[in-house]
Amino acid sequence: MSGGPAVRVSIESLCEKQVQEVSLDGMETYVPPLSLSQNLAKMAQRIDFNQSDESEVEEGTSLESEWKQEQPQVEAEEDCQEEGMLHFQPSLWPWDSVRTALRSALTEMCVLHDVLSIVKEKKYMALDPVSQDNTATKTPQVLQLVSKKRALATAASVLLKGAERLSKSVCENQENRRQRDFNSELLRLRSQWKLRKVGDKILGDLSYRSAGSLFPHLGTFEVIKNTDIDLDKKIPEDYCPLTVQIPSDLQGSAYIKVSIQKQAPDIGDLGTVNLFRNSTVLISNIHPRYPIPFIHFCSAQNVLLCKEILAQLSREAVQIKSQIPHIVVKNQIISQPFPGLQLSISLCHSTGEKAQRCSPDRPDDHLYVLEHNLHQLIREFHKQTLSSVMMPHPASAPFMHKRLRLAGPLAYNKNQINSLQQNEGLLEKIIKQAKHIFLRRRTARTIDSLASRIEDPQIQAHWSNINDVYESSVKVLITSQGYEQICKSIQLQLNIGVEQIRVVHRDGRVVTLSHQEQELQDFLLSQMSQHQVHAVQQLAKVMGWHVLSFSNHVGLGPIENIGNASAITVASANGEYAISVRSGPESGCKVLVQCPRSLNKDQKCDVMQDARWAQLRGPYREVQWSRMEGRNFIYKMELLMAALTP
Amino acid sequence: MGVTCVCQVPVLEGKSVQQTVDMLHRQLEQLGAMKQGSFWVDCETYHTTGTASGQPSKLLYVMHNSEAPLSCTALFEGGPCLMADGNFDVLMVKLKSHFQNAKGHKVESRGARYRYCDFLVKLGTVTMNSSARGISVEVEYCACVVPGDCWNLIKEFIQSFLGPNVPELPSVFATKAEGLFVPADAVDTMTQYLELFGKVRKQQVLQGASVR
Repeated sequence: MSGGPAVRVSIESLCEKQVQEVSLDGMETYVPPLSLSQNLAKMAQRIDFNQSDESEVEEGTSLESEWKQEQPQVEAEEDCQEEGMLHFQPSLWPWDSVRTALRSALTEMCVLHDVLSIVKEKKYMALDPVSQDNTATKTPQVLQLVSKKRALATAASVLLKGAERLSKSVCENQENRRQRDFNSELLRLRSQWKLRKVGDKILGDLSYRSAGSLFPHLGTFEVIKNTDIDLDKKIPEDYCPLTVQIPSDLQGSAYIKVSIQKQAPDIGDLGTVNLFRNSTVLISNIHPRYPIPFIHFCSAQNVLLCKEILAQLSREAVQIKSQIPHIVVKNQIISQPFPGLQLSISLCHSTGEKAQRCSPDRPDDHLYVLEHNLHQLIREFHKQTLSSVMMPHPASAPFMHKRLRLAGPLAYNKNQINSLQQNEGLLEKIIKQAKHIFLRRRTARTIDSLASRIEDPQIQAHWSNINDVYESSVKVLITSQGYEQICKSIQLQLNIGVEQIRVVHRDGRVVTLSHQEQELQDFLLSQMSQHQVHAVQQLAKVMGWHVLSFSNHVGLGPIENIGNASAITVASANGEYAISVRSGPESGCKVLVQCPRSLNKDQKCDVMQDARWAQLRGPYREVQWSRMEGRNFIYKMELLMAALTP
Repeated sequence: MGVTCVCQVPVLEGKSVQQTVDMLHRQLEQLGAMKQGSFWVDCETYHTTGTASGQPSKLLYVMHNSEAPLSCTALFEGGPCLMADGNFDVLMVKLKSHFQNAKGHKVESRGARYRYCDFLVKLGTVTMNSSARGISVEVEYCACVVPGDCWNLIKEFIQSFLGPNVPELPSVFATKAEGLFVPADAVDTMTQYLELFGKVRKQQVLQGASVR
């Protein structure tokens, strides 16, 4: 704002005057401008007093104003007449019109004042309101009806709108309730099963993937909202707002059947055994409060697990080389643990609609223990992939046992690596377990049959409570009834393994028997015959007899088919009598007695003069053992010894 | 893991490598050793492409042994040594810019593996570029890990089938700072093999065709 030096600005008005006349020599004669007074007069002339008069006066005095208007006109005429005499010079006296207007205004004001004062007296004039004309506002009846109708229609529309809103809100409430049920059910479902939203579908996961399974089946199920419910009717008891759709190959129920049978005579018989059975039993065991979808989930998951087990077993059956190849037929795996025996593992899947029961299962056909073990083994396998030994693993290391990752840097040789690695698969494990179970059962049966068949030396079997999937043990005692404390030299510990039975004798001998049933039976029979001889030996000690000779395996006499015969010779305390026993598993017991020669009177000999020769024992004579009294061999022996002792 | 001794058997005059090896096999079998499969040891050479010129490029040797099938040894001659797992080979491929494989220098020894009680004897033919260059014999005494304790026994055993060509104590054990009574490990075996292969490579310069 403080720019350069101040500039003087002068303002001059344009002096534009009207040209009155232009002379011949070009000189302009201007009209002289109006003086101030002249200007004022000009302005005053412009004021129209008549107009302002009309706006201030009431309507009632309109006639009077009209009259008054006439007045200035008359006066104006008068003035004009006066002025007419003066040669039409309207601006003779510029304030003339003003004067007249004022005079008229004065007159009117005076009249108004008079009127008002008269009215105030109320003697001669009174003010009355102007009456309304009723006849002009009277409407016809039709119009009234129409207007009433319209009014009612608007009221009705308002009410209807309100009602509509109410009904909509009620519907929404019910919808909400149903929605809330669906949501709460969905929440409950989600708390137990894995759900995820894909697009506008809700999918769930039935598989064991999160538990460590590597089975490629996805196991997805879909949750669908159950909208086909009529809200007006009563909601049924087992109504569930959501339905689930399980994949078709997992529907129904399944189980794995493991059984051992005699070998099928013809390969063609395999796979024709119908393995379905009624599956309604499964569902009834589930808690009644459990809603239906969950039951289906559990059975579907079981089906998936059974499929995984069978897939793993089939894969191994095909890959693993064994002496006798395993046969995989449809849903069945058949292998031969022992010759003449067949182990079949099959998946029985029934979809619920089929109620066929073909060959009904005998209850002892199932090896339930093995089926349970299969489930446990596959779960064990799942856990291994997730165990802390495997996971977490460094990105550069292969997916294996933690210690095995160190095998490279620590230069492990093959033995060390093998000791860390697991080589056995599911199938091998199950076959080993099946073999062991079978061997154990057969051993028990052999021992029991022997025990029931043979009375004389008694067999007692004490099975151990603690055993392994691959090993069990039983202690077999061979005793004589009534003489258990004396004759307890035959005690056998049988360790039943997968394919062999290891027998540990009390005296330290270890014998390994194969899986053949006959071997065990023969061995036990030979032990029983040996027991008789051992019992005589112990009895001799008790009775005071001397053992002259004892042999577990005699080389003389007829050859036994099973084992060897054993023999013992005992002599009485005074040496007069001797008893000789030969016991064989097949030939039984033969007892011979030697009496002193002096008893045998008829064999007097003249050659021997000295009496002392008569004290020697003479020839052997066999005892008719079957006619001896006594309930078992050792009892009879005791009686014999007692009889021979003077 | 035991004490190992690796030595080279000179090829007999007038005989080929294969014949010598067969003779040794027969001797071992006569002794009563049991054949237990085969073995192989190989060695690859890598040149370091170092940035400092003027210094000779160091040689890195990567060796594998069938006794430790999951392992890989990397050694510098006379320098540091590393035992790693199989991924080391892949790592060397990735380090191509720093280590270049000298493909013509791959040496390997393959042959039969015998077991005689506590002794493991490995007779191998050393080949380079698929031409046989020599014979290697590795004797391992599995029952002991201390070289000082069992060297005499090993020497005697070697004498029993190799005859007069008895090696002296391997320099690996002799030059150890802590002495002879420190446990031996897989690195010592590989170092001995490396020395052997080095000798075989040098031999190539002297006599080539006559070894065949």
